[in-house]
Amino acid sequence: MAQIPSLDHAPINLSALREQAQKELIQILSSVRGKKVLVLDPKLSGPLALVAQPSLLKENGVENLYHLSADPVASECKNVIYLMRPRMGLMKLISSQIQQDNIQKLQKNYTVVFLPRRTIICEKVLEEEGILGSVTILEYPLYLIPFDEDVLSLELDMAFKETKVDGDLSALWYLGRAITLLQAQFGVIPNIKGKGKAAVQVADILNRMQREQMPDANAAVVTPEIDTMILIDRQVDLVTPMCWQLTYEGLIDEFLTISNGAVELDPTIMGIAQSGVKKAKVPLNSSDKLYRELRDLNFGVVGQVLRNKATSMKQDYNDVTGGGPQHQSVSELKDFVKKLNALPELTRHTNIAQHLSTFTTKSKFLTRLSIEQTLVEGLSYDISFEFVEEMIHRQEPITSVLRLLVLLSLTSGGLQKKHFDYLRREVLHTYGFEHMFTLSNLEKAGLLKKQEAKSSWQNIKRGFRLVVEDQDDANPTDVSYVYSGYAPLSIRLVQHALKGGWKAVDEVFKLLPGQSFDRKQGSQADQSVLSRDGSAREGSVTADSAPAVDGRRAVVLVVFIGGVTYAEISALRFLGAQEGMKYDFVIATTKLINGTSLLKSMVEES
Amino acid sequence: MAVSMAAEWSELYNRFYRKQEMYTMCWQNVDLSRHKVACANFGGPIAIIRDDSKIVQLRSESARAKLLIYTASGVLITSFLWDRPGGRLISLGWTADEVLLVLVQDGTVYRYNIHGELTDRKFTFGKEVWEQGVADCIIWGSGLVCLTEANQLFAVTNLEDPQPIKLADPHLEEPPHCMAIIDPQFTVSGNVEVLLAVGTTVLIVDADAVQDHNLLIGPLQKMTVSPNGTFVACFTHDGRLLVVSTDFSKTLVDFNTQSALPPEQLVWCGLDSLLLYWEDILMMVGPYGDSVKYPYDEPLFLIPECDGVRILSNTYMEFLERLSDATVSIFKIGSTTPAAMLYDALDHFDKRSSKADENIRLIISSLPEAVKACIDAAGHEFDISQQRTLMRAAAYGRAFCSQFPRNKFKDMCRTLRVLNAVRRFEIGIPLTIQQLEVLTPPVLIARLISQHRHLLALRISEHLGLGQETVLIHWACSKIAAASDVPDGVLLDMLVEKLKVCPMISYAAVAANAHRKGRRKLAALLLDYEPRSSEQVPLLTSMGEEERALVKAIESGDTDLVYFTIFHIWHQSRKSTLEFFRIIQSRPLARDLFIVYARVSEPELLKKFYVSIGAPQCCAEVFLRESWSCAQSIVVRQGSALQGPRVKLIEQAADLYAQTKDYSFEAKAAEEHAKLLKVQQDLEAATGQPIFVDSSVSDTIRTCITLGNHRAAQRIRTDFKVSDKRFYWLKIFALAMTKNWDALEKFSKEKKPPVGYKPFVEACIEEDEKDEALKYIVKLSDPQERAESYERLGMSAEAATAAAQTKESEILGRLKSTFGQNSPAGALFDSLRDRLSLPGVS
Repeated sequence: MAQIPSLDHAPINLSALREQAQKELIQILSSVRGKKVLVLDPKLSGPLALVAQPSLLKENGVENLYHLSADPVASECKNVIYLMRPRMGLMKLISSQIQQDNIQKLQKNYTVVFLPRRTIICEKVLEEEGILGSVTILEYPLYLIPFDEDVLSLELDMAFKETKVDGDLSALWYLGRAITLLQAQFGVIPNIKGKGKAAVQVADILNRMQREQMPDANAAVVTPEIDTMILIDRQVDLVTPMCWQLTYEGLIDEFLTISNGAVELDPTIMGIAQSGVKKAKVPLNSSDKLYRELRDLNFGVVGQVLRNKATSMKQDYNDVTGGGPQHQSVSELKDFVKKLNALPELTRHTNIAQHLSTFTTKSKFLTRLSIEQTLVEGLSYDISFEFVEEMIHRQEPITSVLRLLVLLSLTSGGLQKKHFDYLRREVLHTYGFEHMFTLSNLEKAGLLKKQEAKSSWQNIKRGFRLVVEDQDDANPTDVSYVYSGYAPLSIRLVQHALKGGWKAVDEVFKLLPGQSFDRKQGSQADQSVLSRDGSAREGSVTADSAPAVDGRRAVVLVVFIGGVTYAEISALRFLGAQEGMKYDFVIATTKLINGTSLLKSMVEES
Repeated sequence: MAVSMAAEWSELYNRFYRKQEMYTMCWQNVDLSRHKVACANFGGPIAIIRDDSKIVQLRSESARAKLLIYTASGVLITSFLWDRPGGRLISLGWTADEVLLVLVQDGTVYRYNIHGELTDRKFTFGKEVWEQGVADCIIWGSGLVCLTEANQLFAVTNLEDPQPIKLADPHLEEPPHCMAIIDPQFTVSGNVEVLLAVGTTVLIVDADAVQDHNLLIGPLQKMTVSPNGTFVACFTHDGRLLVVSTDFSKTLVDFNTQSALPPEQLVWCGLDSLLLYWEDILMMVGPYGDSVKYPYDEPLFLIPECDGVRILSNTYMEFLERLSDATVSIFKIGSTTPAAMLYDALDHFDKRSSKADENIRLIISSLPEAVKACIDAAGHEFDISQQRTLMRAAAYGRAFCSQFPRNKFKDMCRTLRVLNAVRRFEIGIPLTIQQLEVLTPPVLIARLISQHRHLLALRISEHLGLGQETVLIHWACSKIAAASDVPDGVLLDMLVEKLKVCPMISYAAVAANAHRKGRRKLAALLLDYEPRSSEQVPLLTSMGEEERALVKAIESGDTDLVYFTIFHIWHQSRKSTLEFFRIIQSRPLARDLFIVYARVSEPELLKKFYVSIGAPQCCAEVFLRESWSCAQSIVVRQGSALQGPRVKLIEQAADLYAQTKDYSFEAKAAEEHAKLLKVQQDLEAATGQPIFVDSSVSDTIRTCITLGNHRAAQRIRTDFKVSDKRFYWLKIFALAMTKNWDALEKFSKEKKPPVGYKPFVEACIEEDEKDEALKYIVKLSDPQERAESYERLGMSAEAATAAAQTKESEILGRLKSTFGQNSPAGALFDSLRDRLSLPGVS
């Protein structure tokens, strides 16, 4: 099974997006004649694997792949292509490699390909290092990468930190550009809503890009394929990523880390006896039919589903072997064989689920989960505080500690003054003084603060009905099943946006940080022209609150600026699958995250 | 009238040629015989200057020569006195971009635009040519070759970046009889090749070598290379015209002209015939040795075009061309081709004769080709009424064919309109349809623009569906240049009024032009109309409007554009550092981006910046970062690294933090950090082990205990005011790790542990020491903790007993019930798999 997801069932034509990306890649590769080696920004090899098969590189003359490091490329090949994010640190590494080649008098052709675009700041570093003249600079305008039929990501892992801590808004511009490109392909999205500072900023950038763009005669005629876009700044809902995701996919991510649509597993987990074998890469996307069925379920239910599948297969087997040949029709046999095809998938997920349950049954996990849930309910500050304190004393991994500490701060409106200084000092003493930067980053991003006013969390929780009691995880009726009782705030925002608008919850809505907006794009005049001459498409123009007049499901693009978790994606899929729901969701984000990876971006390497 | 048409044709072997008048020249009193003449291709302009190498009688004119530029119809565009230094004018000629090159004796090349304005991009052939003096020169569309008095050859082949190249020395004593060049686009090497007729032979000279063909055909008195670069036409001393391949291996034509004198001009007419001009006579020689003579009583100048030759005389501009097959098929006397029948049918139709119908019936099966021929023939006509008649014939025939491609007809109408428009004598560009095809409409438009025929260019662009942007921008720039006395506001309105036709037009390009012309205010006003920040910002910076540029860049949200402006202000403008700081300080995005960059590349500047804005705490961070980067390059002595420089930096940071009350926590932390480093350095020196530096306070304590250095551990505990709780956790795990069980037990009994007994139990279990763990489990006060501990040791009976004393919380129970029973799924599955024993599934 390929890591490249099949996009055949996507609500909008994402295959075209990927094919375009492949075409551009081929163009870049073939612009350098002859054999070449490709040196990758290590962070790009994953995303690249989602765009193109390794064979594509080979077919276009790439002899070898390397990850950029301080050591020079050990290859005789005369053509070197560097595929890089525009980051200053990477430029320094490239420079040192080329300088080393120069010392050894190796004559090579260097091409630096920037993804998604060249920047002045990087060229400046190359210039300062004296190698700008000896490299050819190209751009690979790859913005959104399809991760699955309903998930797109820019894969900018530092996006949240850079925008909220450093004030470097590049990621927002990239996102604006990415959405503009989407609109060029799928039509101008008529309804745009958003919440949070970054959402407003992106919308402004989008607006400006639209003004600057050539008024394409075609674009006006194209019926928009995406009906509504909802922009959500991660900062509006930081509580959700700090909680443990309790869906199957979410838990895999929390314990085993999904990166670029695949998880690396120890062969022993997969039931392969011999040890010492390299880790096995298991792709996780909707091409795997069983995974498609399981991924969004609460993990508590997954075991039962798998058990049922196995039982039914056993039943089938008994029927086939027990009945004797005279009772078997060929078509029955065929059916059985068809079912057997699902066997490897069943094996795979039984193994993974089993492995996960070794974590989930530990009391450590359960205790922590219960602390998280008390925090979200906004109860017992003291117990939680002591729990965090003990975690620090046990010297548990810093991201794990911070995750709970941040959750504590977020749900309590900050830490009490004495605790604030005390815990910060304990962190510095335990994990080292370099975390001065980490703590200051957390404060700047609003993840950690000193208590100043009464917490508004209780009101938010109540207003948005975030805690839902008596939820049956096996037959959920509400998105809260993804966190076993906690409904992600971000998803509640989406629900309200689609149903009655945010005005309905105005009081609590105001408690959330940042401004909001709700507007229409594409001039009304254009639309009336459309409806006048296009009698066939009658009604589709006015269908903004009630889409699907013609039976078509409206596509809603939910954009998470600063990252989205797997559990949130599951929640949206759950919403889309509800009866009477007239929307298909497509999710776009700067990065697929969980609390740990988000906090890791806050920890600076010194 | 149709009857007489073919009567004017000339026939060479089986081909028909036609010479027709394009213009009666508008000029007066121009005598070509007294002038050097240069005409641009594709119906381009004519430049003339009195030929001072000839003895001419000066009439009522100045002794100084004048350079005059006319359109092809003889309308004067400009004239000016020739007063350039550099000696005798050797040659003049037009480039493909309609730039007039004038080469003078000392090797200087002047460039003029069509309006006779000297562009400042003159160049010279260099010192050697200057010393030797130019004797002769050939100019072609994209370069020129000159021959010096010392018989050396020099070439310039790229007019964008003119670098004279000296060609190989042909070692000539005397000047060659004549010379010709092969355009670089037709040579194998891609370099220009020069043919020199020397003695009886021809030398081919390029940059590297001279090749002698050892021919005996000469001496040659005239040579011309064919438009496709594959043949050379040569006129020999004994009056023969030879056509040979450019490698001189094949002779295709050998024609005796019966003239002892060489022709004054020898040019190719298309690819298959040649024109020779002697005074009073013009002779055309065809591919099979047929010839036609035209008598003239006026001097002529021949201008080769891609599909014929323009013949310029004092009175007329004529065009001699081979007729298209379509034209011949219709107008050839006695022609009965379907096209001719169709043309005839229209005539009958106009006369209301029923023969029209008969004609159509006769050719009904081949009507489409007849229609096509009429359309094609219309394209080749200069006479508008003739074009109309042919198009009407086509339209008449088309009515009877159901499937004739519509756009063919439409395209031809469109093309004819364009051709007729530019052929009008006021414009004076006598293009043929074939020439337009080769030239392409965008180039035609560019030529019109450079002649300041903006309106026509705009109309043509519109008519052909080409972008109007280039025309409008050029117009606006010319307007600005011409309207130097019009006030900014008025001019702005005039410009915007026209420019707004094109919504995405680049106002920045026009503004840049206005800026170059010194109209800053107008430029600024124009820029406000520019929607694209990426266009606005660079211009604003170059105009010195840095702050406005920065505002625009920030508005765009494009961080790269902001960096561009920041770097510009910082490096290129003459602003002081403080002024720079002031500009970025008030703008958060600019400030933050600057900080991101400076943190990596300019830490010293960043410190200055923070000091200037009064933010010591930020400055402190820079020092801290420096101390960390310092850690990588620390001096190592006697196995331990000296932390002095780092400590100093951290202390500086601490001082800076201390300046602001709000940062007392950070100040304290930095102080402690410095203190810790010193302690660690001492420990490393004492133990001789480099294991302390850069570990945390807690880790340092743990390491000390593991090493058995309890005194050091104790000292750090007090120095850093480590809480009892934390110290207990650290010590318990450190002792367990070193399996120091006695010490651990002793420690547990020192006093009632502030952390309870749980850590003891956990530490023992982690080290797999069941018996030790049991010692502490019994001391656990919480039965649930006890139960869990027993469970971890696998003592289920004890666990159950303990559990009985607890009331498990609801949530735990729920989770356990779902996660706890994982085995049935797996077991069931395994058994199933075994029995199926499928190959390949593992």
